[in-house]
Amino acid sequence: MRLQFVLAEIGSGLRRNLSMVVSVILVTFVSLTFVGAAGMLQLQINQMKGYWYDKVQVAIFLCSDGSTAAGCATGPATPEQQDNLAKLLESPAVAQYVNDFQFESKDDAYKHFKEQFSNSPIVDSVTPDQLPASFRINMKDPEKYQIISETFSSQAGVETVIDQRQLLERLFSVMNAASLVAVSVAGVMIVCAILLIATTIRLSAFSRRRETGIMRLVGASKIVIQLPFILEGVIAAVIGAALASATLWAVAHFFLGGYLSQQYPDTAFISAAQTLILAPALIGLGVLLAGVSSLLTLRRYLRV
Amino acid sequence: MIRFENVTKVYDQKARPALDSINLEIDRGEFAFLVGASGSGKSTFLRLVLKEDRASSGAVYVAGQNVANISSWRVPRLRRGIGVVFQDFRLLPQKTVFANVAFAMQVIGKSRSVIRDTVPEVLKTVGLEGKENRLPHELSGGEQQRVAIARAVVNRPGILLADEPTGNLDPTTSMGIMGVLDKINQNGTTVVMATHDDDIVNEMRKRVVELRNGVIIRDEAKALYTSMIPIVGQSRRLRDASGREPEPAAVPTAVTGVDARAAGEGQL
Repeated sequence: MRLQFVLAEIGSGLRRNLSMVVSVILVTFVSLTFVGAAGMLQLQINQMKGYWYDKVQVAIFLCSDGSTAAGCATGPATPEQQDNLAKLLESPAVAQYVNDFQFESKDDAYKHFKEQFSNSPIVDSVTPDQLPASFRINMKDPEKYQIISETFSSQAGVETVIDQRQLLERLFSVMNAASLVAVSVAGVMIVCAILLIATTIRLSAFSRRRETGIMRLVGASKIVIQLPFILEGVIAAVIGAALASATLWAVAHFFLGGYLSQQYPDTAFISAAQTLILAPALIGLGVLLAGVSSLLTLRRYLRV
Repeated sequence: MIRFENVTKVYDQKARPALDSINLEIDRGEFAFLVGASGSGKSTFLRLVLKEDRASSGAVYVAGQNVANISSWRVPRLRRGIGVVFQDFRLLPQKTVFANVAFAMQVIGKSRSVIRDTVPEVLKTVGLEGKENRLPHELSGGEQQRVAIARAVVNRPGILLADEPTGNLDPTTSMGIMGVLDKINQNGTTVVMATHDDDIVNEMRKRVVELRNGVIIRDEAKALYTSMIPIVGQSRRLRDASGREPEPAAVPTAVTGVDARAAGEGQL
């Protein structure tokens, strides 16, 4: 009976306050969408890290004809220098950081270059001689790049040591910045949502002050009096959170999964299913927002 | 049932207290009128019984329990033992008579079958049989007040507080309402009624407690609205209108009575 009563109260409260309820839904929807977008960017970053970090390598480029680096004073790298470097890579001090490595000769480099830029006219103007030979090292732990770099930069015949991961880091930092922006927008919107929920509850409490007054007089418990108001806000917020989750799913499904993955087939995008991980978090956040703000409001405007 | 010990209520430090060292005892099953001009402290008295306000000093006992010691989450339980009726009825305009009365039971979690059984019974007690499905605006003032009374007593409270229940009604209708209150009192409910209506008080011949400026200036059994005996000085020792021996308004004899009873009336 009491449950049914509370449900009926919620129903009438939602109907009476429809425009306010709709605005609460929309504000929580927008704010939680931004929160979710930030979450999605982080998921995407993790996804790409997992995907690329296995593939990216540290490359030790050897001196070639035109090299000007300090280690290349003696001209192009000689086969002895190349052997020394291979031995150094196999030595225990270095080998513990290395999964495996391979040597990419000038001809190999030229082959890869042609594959990579097959659509570009630049291929025709490049000869194998212009491309440096290199050691491609697959690190056990990509974070240990510094050790390799320090060991090999000063070796004779080495032009430069490049960590391909750094190129990715630049991309990730852009994505991190984007998610930071999303979080800041979300923060402002969440403040809006809290204030709006508080106002809605206040209006609702005011429009039903007759009922609540009588409930107090006949000895209804605090829970029975306040629960309909709290749940009103919570329901609106949950609807907003559900809409936000659906929007994120749609973005992942149609934009990332459809358009972007066609444009960039070799990039690992998060799947639409993965965004659903965010849904419980968004709904939880919505419930928390509504619950806390309505509790605080009721304490002031609904004496029991 | 209701006992005030040296109760003072100050709303504003600069003004005089709304109630000033009140000592009063109302027994179980008693019918008492609270009379006095506006601002004499009648409403404050009722609010203190309901724990809507807390006394500035002194102790208010309801059903043997000091209300100051009731924690806020137990206040609803206190209020379930007290029915309240107002001058302005305070019905829910969009609910029928039946729904208005049932509302008081729904919100404290009574089952639907209990409500179906109890509400018609109570409506019969207040004389509203056959009007279950009317809306408040379709009823006369007296009938609306009967609905309010039905709502106040449907949970069988031990105490019924009425704050000028006949204030908006004509004399004939008022007497009808008094008949209902009297019937409820006959069933064992303690009734405390604040009123200005001298005709009613004179007709009923019940206990009268008169307040003036927050002080009890008269407490007579079977009395009239205005005292037959002129008040001399500030003395509160008054003679009963019936001419019996003077009866002190103070409490001492009654106090022991309540304490003895309190043990037996645990829930109320």
